[in-house]
Amino acid sequence: MTDDGRRDTALETQPPPQVRMPLLDYITAHSLDEDYAHVADRAGAAPSRPGRPGLAALVITGLFGLLVATAAVQTSRNAGDAQSSRDSIVTQIKARSASVDARRDRIANLRDEIGSLTALSLENTSQGRALSARLDRLGVMSGSLAVTGPGVRVVVDDAPGAVDDQQRVLDEDLQKLVNALWASGAEAIAVNGQRLTALSAIRGAGSAITVNNTVSLSRPYTVLAIGDPDTMPARFVETTHGRDWLDLRTIYGLEFEMTSQRSMRLPAARRLDLRHTTTGENR
Amino acid sequence: MIAGLGLLVGIILGLMLQPEVPLWLEPYLPIAVVAALDAVFGALRAFLDGIFDDKVFVVSFISNVLIAGLIVYLGDQLGVGGQLSTGVIVVLGIRIFSNVAAIRRHIFHA
Repeated sequence: MTDDGRRDTALETQPPPQVRMPLLDYITAHSLDEDYAHVADRAGAAPSRPGRPGLAALVITGLFGLLVATAAVQTSRNAGDAQSSRDSIVTQIKARSASVDARRDRIANLRDEIGSLTALSLENTSQGRALSARLDRLGVMSGSLAVTGPGVRVVVDDAPGAVDDQQRVLDEDLQKLVNALWASGAEAIAVNGQRLTALSAIRGAGSAITVNNTVSLSRPYTVLAIGDPDTMPARFVETTHGRDWLDLRTIYGLEFEMTSQRSMRLPAARRLDLRHTTTGENR
Repeated sequence: MIAGLGLLVGIILGLMLQPEVPLWLEPYLPIAVVAALDAVFGALRAFLDGIFDDKVFVVSFISNVLIAGLIVYLGDQLGVGGQLSTGVIVVLGIRIFSNVAAIRRHIFHA
């Protein structure tokens, strides 16, 4: 009874340290387990048990060592696992891309074979020869055949030390250039080695310009156009977009250089797979 | 020194056996090690203070490990496992530091 009363008054005058002290101070001040002090106080009257570690301490420190070693082993094993799984993914990627390359080669070989077999079978009849000539013409126009011929070579680039977009060659500038070349009688056009087809698009993707939706171009832009090299430059400056380009050169300092070529070779476009389109007439 | 011997035996045993930790226990292993580290440093300080007690050491070690694991488990179930383990590590880390400071004072008398 008296004991309880004393504790109550003690609580009123002096709240426990958990309440009084800030959390971090309390943790720092009571970093040692209080039980050690309690047990020592209790044993203080009868110092029969000396403060020496015994068998239990041996077992527990052994357990601690085991725990530490296990954690370390586990961590290093996991790191090894991550590394080996990364390695195996890298190997898989390499193997797969090698097989893709091999198949791409095979596709090219088969396409060549198809081409030569088609030519061979068409050469036999006069009707076939006419068909073959028509195929060649269509191939040139659709961009599925590599072509050679005279024409003009246009090299355009950003203005030297360009700071803003007006001094750079933008996707629309390249579009204008290509349109002006078509308008001045070009029969086949390639931009930086990318043959333009009926399905080609020139557009800006971020800071780069892409052609045919897949290939990013890098400066300077070289446009090859097959056509009559004597008339094309003159017809070029007569088109609206051609004049636009001359303005771009004089006002913004964009680099523009057109040279006539006696002979150029333009590559074929990537094969155009038409998945949905069929010809109008049902055969 | 009996405790050092135990530690050595435990580490050698762990390295030799390389026990496979079950997957569900794996996230709690690091926090258990930190909690155990706190108990061990506390015991070392108590030993140097001359108030070491076997039973208290055993109880504090086991309860430290279990409670730390339990808190993190609870946190995982509530979706705050990462934050709770950070809290546990902060508190245990402070305790370890101040215990080590006390041990240092005992050893170097500084």
